[in-house]
Amino acid sequence: MKKIIIILGVISATIAVILSVLPLSNLTYIPAIIALIFGLIAIYLSRENKESKKIIHLLLLITIISLAIATYKSVFNTVEIGNTEQLEKREKESEEKAIEELEGLGL
Amino acid sequence: MQRLIFTFLLLFIINTNAQNLPFQAGEKLSFTASYNMSGILTELAQVTMETSEVKTSKSTILRLKCTATTYSKWDIFFKIRDIYESYVNPKTLTPYLYKRDISEGGYNKFVQYKYNHNSKTVASLIRKKKREGGTYDIKKTVPISVNANDIVTTIYKLRQLNFSDTINGSNDSFTVLFDNKEATVSFTYLGKETINTTIGDKECYKLAISIQGTDVLKGNNSNLLWLTADENKIPIYAKFKIPVGNGELKIKSVSGLKY
Repeated sequence: MKKIIIILGVISATIAVILSVLPLSNLTYIPAIIALIFGLIAIYLSRENKESKKIIHLLLLITIISLAIATYKSVFNTVEIGNTEQLEKREKESEEKAIEELEGLGL
Repeated sequence: MQRLIFTFLLLFIINTNAQNLPFQAGEKLSFTASYNMSGILTELAQVTMETSEVKTSKSTILRLKCTATTYSKWDIFFKIRDIYESYVNPKTLTPYLYKRDISEGGYNKFVQYKYNHNSKTVASLIRKKKREGGTYDIKKTVPISVNANDIVTTIYKLRQLNFSDTINGSNDSFTVLFDNKEATVSFTYLGKETINTTIGDKECYKLAISIQGTDVLKGNNSNLLWLTADENKIPIYAKFKIPVGNGELKIKSVSGLKY
């Protein structure tokens, strides 16, 4: 039972850390919260045993890092449009061609 | 005599319409388009609506332009650089020329309609990219209905409607030509609502949009548009539900307003 919870926690934490570095960082919170829950359950289940808890600590650490990255990105990163040089060129060319077309329509 | 009266009436209608235009050349509206991913709205692109004057040797024409540009962080995954434009009569908004030049994640398409209102036809040109490189053209003459418009003109014509005396539930429809096919777009007035936006709290006309004969838009009253309940009638907020999800369009900035 504990092993399954730890495996699910590690999977969730890995998804969270991958999402946090992608533009989809908004979605990090969902797997991160799941990973945190699994991590806490795993700690609760292993509190009476004297087994090593390194993997659980690692799971929680990865989750906290992913949450920190996602929070930093949502607070400090502002969205900005990409390079529009080509688009502006196309717009200008389109207008020039349109004037020719309109002249051709007798306008 | 009857012809004279008809001409006067026509001129009066044209003049009234011209006075009622809620926008002018130089208006620029910027929006943020967001898509709902697992219940979290993610900002995807910037959409702008601009009006400008274009001068030919004989006349001045109004250019209505809409562009869509993905934010830089999405460009690696799915780069969108779309231009939709319509060249219309500055008084009556009668369209003369429509152009759609889209570039969406490697997919390119160019569509052009030259209107002939006398013969009620449109000379359509569709240009697509060949797989092996180069392009190919498809030219067609498409018959259109009397009041058929392109999508860009329809958005601006919608702003011409008078909602001040409109009863809740009443609707209006437009015939829109898209991909050489006509579709009826209906707008149902749902009353007034005050919404909070980046340009302040605005009292708006709430409209439900539906397209007959196509499944582009999903749900009943799930596609909504809010126009400011002032003389400018700016489209300030929109919610849409499409087969692959749902999203929204929020106003970001406005400039060059008429009123």
